[in-house]
Amino acid sequence: MTATRSRRPRPDADEVVAAERRAERRAILAFLGCAAAAGVLAVVYWTGGNPQLEGVFLALALGGLGVGFVTMGHHLLPQGPAEEARPPLAATDEDEDELEEEFERVSVLGRRRLLLASMTAAAAGLGAAILFPIRSLGPKEGGTLSRTSWRAGLRLVTDDGRPVEANAVPLNGLVTVFPEGHAGSADSQAVLMRVDPGVLAPKPARRNWSPNGLIAYSKVCTHAGCPVGLYEAQTHQLLCPCHQSAFDVLDEAKPVFGPAARPLPQLPLAIGPDGFVRATGDFSEPIGPAWWNRR
Amino acid sequence: MIGAPLFVGTALTLAATAGVLLASSAPAPAQQPPLDATHVYLRDCATCHGAEGRGTNRGPTLIGVGEASADYELTTGRMPLGEPTEPVRRHEPAYPPAMIAALVAHVAGFGGGGPDIPRVDAAGADISLGGELFRQQCAGCHSWSGTGGALLYREAPTLQPSTPTQVAEAVRIGPGTMPAFGPAAIDETQLDALVAYVKKLQHPADRGGASLWHLGPLVEGGVAIIVGLGASLLVIRWIGERE
Repeated sequence: MTATRSRRPRPDADEVVAAERRAERRAILAFLGCAAAAGVLAVVYWTGGNPQLEGVFLALALGGLGVGFVTMGHHLLPQGPAEEARPPLAATDEDEDELEEEFERVSVLGRRRLLLASMTAAAAGLGAAILFPIRSLGPKEGGTLSRTSWRAGLRLVTDDGRPVEANAVPLNGLVTVFPEGHAGSADSQAVLMRVDPGVLAPKPARRNWSPNGLIAYSKVCTHAGCPVGLYEAQTHQLLCPCHQSAFDVLDEAKPVFGPAARPLPQLPLAIGPDGFVRATGDFSEPIGPAWWNRR
Repeated sequence: MIGAPLFVGTALTLAATAGVLLASSAPAPAQQPPLDATHVYLRDCATCHGAEGRGTNRGPTLIGVGEASADYELTTGRMPLGEPTEPVRRHEPAYPPAMIAALVAHVAGFGGGGPDIPRVDAAGADISLGGELFRQQCAGCHSWSGTGGALLYREAPTLQPSTPTQVAEAVRIGPGTMPAFGPAAIDETQLDALVAYVKKLQHPADRGGASLWHLGPLVEGGVAIIVGLGASLLVIRWIGERE
């Protein structure tokens, strides 16, 4: 450590000059080091680059710059504290008298009536403006939350619009599907799976909804609306990656684990004579999380 | 020298440069006297799967699983198990490639169809398409970096040691608890792209140096804050103390 310390006994002039010369030399060395490192950095970049080497030389270059500046600041620039004399800030007696006179001549109190009137106008205007957003509470959603784009007879397509052929879904297979013409639709997305028809025991109301073990449910989680895209083929469970809700594919996608309270809506399916999978209607119930007046 | 700790601190910040190189080594196939695949099947497989592949109460039927499934289970060393209760995990293959091919043919001989071993051609495939598919269909369980993951105590294995053919087989057959992805979900072109992306994941260009086990942005941010900001704070404190 060669830094000059202020509590050191006062040095004579020769010693100060010598110390400054040494500091100057150190700063020059640091700046030259910076230039050299920057040159190497440029060469490394030019010859193909290596992020690690580039980082090291950038650090060396910036470090050299910093060391140079710090050395300059500590040893070569005038050291404080510096003081500057300033005139007194108090006002003269004449100024004070003048202000007092001015204040008494133009009285705010004399304009009270106009002030009150303008304040009332401001309050009334603001109150009226606040009434207008009430309009945004309506109109009623009119069932748009209860319906999706699925209609009877629509083919199931993938996200790039290819219709899904029944034969192209193997046992334990999983495909994300959309209604034809609405590929990418957020509320109509569904997961299509094929399970062994032998393990499937649908209730009478849904007996014809899962031909040849093909079964589809809404992909929108009934808890918070995440995509329920993970299918465990052995346990026949659909898992939601967000909050770990699990739905039993064999039992109308009723939740068996996690925060979801309602089953995933089922999409009734049929296999057309052309071999493509088609919907025979919309989902069994409104999709996604509940809302205020959901029945 | 005033700047020495500044150098050291800045260098420390950028010094996590130890790249992790994964070297894979293929075992030399042991030269054994030729054994009949039927004999090996009866010795190692039939206990659980039955002599005719019909399955027993210890193991599932092999009729209709297809060549892809038999090849996947044998080349990844998941089969044969020592005990039926053993967890099914990746091991070194138990048989040399020629025996595996013969066993695959033997299992396919039980009939029932099933998917053939997929032919993958990752060269020239669209890696960005593969990446998109990977994030949509695979990353949920196998993690964004393909290093495997867990969901509700269910493990999904790492994809690091998988060959392109094994990746394609797994996609088509859905081994274990994984669902199968047929041509409706992932067509041939997309499968090639997916395999190409997995190959890229196996040899990632870790431009930043240390991969930090590919645990993701949370870990990287944590290291940057603790190591980087910590070193910077130490340097700042050291500079500020001079008086």
